Amino acid sequence: MILLAVGCSHRNTPVAVRERLAFREDQLAAALDAVSTRLDCEAVILSTCNRVELYLARVLDRATRATTPLDADAVCGFLADFHGLPAADLRPHLYVHQNDAAVRHLFRVAASLDSLIVGEGQIAGQVKKAYEIGHRYSGPGPLLHALFPHARRVAKRVRTETGIAGGHASVSSAAVDYVRQVFDHFGDKTILVIGAGKMGELTLKHLRRLEPKRIFVANRSPEKAQAVARGCGGEAVPWERLDEMLARADIVLSTTGAPEPIVTQERYRRIAAQRIGGPIVILDIAVPRDFDPAIHDGDRTCLFNIDDLKRVQEAVLAVRRKHVGPAEALVEQETQRFLKEWRRRRHGPVIERLTQDLEAKREEVVRKLFEKINGRLNEEDRKYIEYAFVKLQNQFLHGPISTLTEDQQADAPGHTLLDALRKLFRLRE
Amino acid sequence: MYGVTLVCFASSYAVALGLELWRQFRSRPILYYLAVGFGAAGLLAQSIYLAVRPVGWMILLAWVLAIFYLYGSIHYRKMSWGVFVLPLVLGLIGLSAKMGPDADPLPPAADRFWGFLHVGLLLLAAVGVCVGFLAGVMYLIQAHRLRAKTPPRWGLRLLSLERLEQMNRRAVDLAFPLLTAGLVVGLFVLIQNQASPTNPRIVGAAVLWLAFLVLLVLRYAWRVRGRAFALLTIAAFVLLLVCLVLEHHPLGGGA
Repeated sequence: MILLAVGCSHRNTPVAVRERLAFREDQLAAALDAVSTRLDCEAVILSTCNRVELYLARVLDRATRATTPLDADAVCGFLADFHGLPAADLRPHLYVHQNDAAVRHLFRVAASLDSLIVGEGQIAGQVKKAYEIGHRYSGPGPLLHALFPHARRVAKRVRTETGIAGGHASVSSAAVDYVRQVFDHFGDKTILVIGAGKMGELTLKHLRRLEPKRIFVANRSPEKAQAVARGCGGEAVPWERLDEMLARADIVLSTTGAPEPIVTQERYRRIAAQRIGGPIVILDIAVPRDFDPAIHDGDRTCLFNIDDLKRVQEAVLAVRRKHVGPAEALVEQETQRFLKEWRRRRHGPVIERLTQDLEAKREEVVRKLFEKINGRLNEEDRKYIEYAFVKLQNQFLHGPISTLTEDQQADAPGHTLLDALRKLFRLRE
Repeated sequence: MYGVTLVCFASSYAVALGLELWRQFRSRPILYYLAVGFGAAGLLAQSIYLAVRPVGWMILLAWVLAIFYLYGSIHYRKMSWGVFVLPLVLGLIGLSAKMGPDADPLPPAADRFWGFLHVGLLLLAAVGVCVGFLAGVMYLIQAHRLRAKTPPRWGLRLLSLERLEQMNRRAVDLAFPLLTAGLVVGLFVLIQNQASPTNPRIVGAAVLWLAFLVLLVLRYAWRVRGRAFALLTIAAFVLLLVCLVLEHHPLGGGA
């Protein structure tokens, strides 16, 4: 087989290059068709915000016929032509994994060991989707058909058998986890969004999933407040009513771009005196901070800023990193298992033919032998002779079959053990 | 079957507590099931123990709290419930053992109905105080964790501040009327028996009632909440313990 994984990721390529190499969903059909035709191979394209990878495969029979080389340069040429970029600029950014290494790489990617946030759960779904799209448009052949479902199983095993996916490792989910430590139910809660910073969008999305009673948006610019409120199904309030809204809110998400804290300790003391509700959670993810950190008391006022949330993220990642070793071992185990299964499957017909051939010859020899010495053997003697011949055949086949199964290059193009076996035993296709 | 001793169920609860503590470090389902199993075994043994002999206040209270443990463990399976409830159960059993033979808290046969009513009401009020105490302790720990900004999924798994405060408030709200009713009935029994009003237990109960009145005034009129209210509930529990100890004191006696 030839299996190639060619691509670039957050590890070795800046986002400026990655975004030029990325495939939009509407481009995938054309790209898969183009690459599989041009390089005469099976193809799956994995294009996410952190990586662009092409998985290309040729099995033995096609490889012997194909005239187009299947290597990194050919793939680079395809990428350059498809995206209209100079190949020389792309080549330094591309990594190449071949055969066993490509299998291992895909399993690591699917298991989220190569992700920006180790253990994140999105990548397994993205790998699955890439395979489904590939299946729909280019029709991956036997190798990728076997490889990608196996990758999904590996990802599942790694997630369930190690602690790699433990905890929430994003700033937004850490924020929601803190909110859940203070509040039990959200149907009667009011969220106040201050500012319209990009940083807050994802956190607000997470907070909205808690289904709060209402969302207010306060911004110095009424237009921006209206826009954010429309986006989140909230209600815009004038900036002048900020103190009043703070006194009413249960959860505050602050993301302004103000150069100084907008709520000092003194100002907050006056606001707190007006509060009649329960505790308040303030998620201050603005940089510089919007709220004076001194107002945090962990009882009536819980203030978490971006550093606190990132600290949680780091702590979760540190725990996850402890599970990378066992996860890598699992990936290696699965890689070997896949390769062994694949070779067995690929060599199966040859081995079957070889076995059938020898069986026919053995039966012929035994039949002639019994004809010659007919009448001089009892039933027990006949059984013993038959058994001896079967044993001889098995011992004879054991060596070639084992060597074939263990040889990693057995089905590489050119003169291989598989070819040698076919020729030596005159096995027909 | 009737050979059940205090050591039997105390040991079961102690094993359950050990398993609950172990569960905090190694979250394995088997530890949970074992802990609940030992807790249930302890409760069964204690029920048999209570059924066949006269019992004291503390052992009765420990029995109700053991039920509370099982309820909480099943209802809040992922929470560190047992870590808080079981030490209290064991503490009450230990205190009961230390105080000597269990005194029958019930009054003479002539006052059986009023006696049962009095004891029943006070027992339920005491359960309320204990639940308030547990909620208060958990609240303080949760608030401390939030104050220190401990990562949410680390260490003890506790209910939210809002839920703990609600539990605390409801326990106190429930305990006060029960305590009041129990004391009124007790007063009736006291008049019937012509007991001395300076009996330490009566004085203790009156002080406890006053403390609860103050607690409610602070909660609803002064809007004392959160950490301060949790501390006050803990103080009320300490007062309850003093009253229970007085029950076993040579100076104390039945109502």
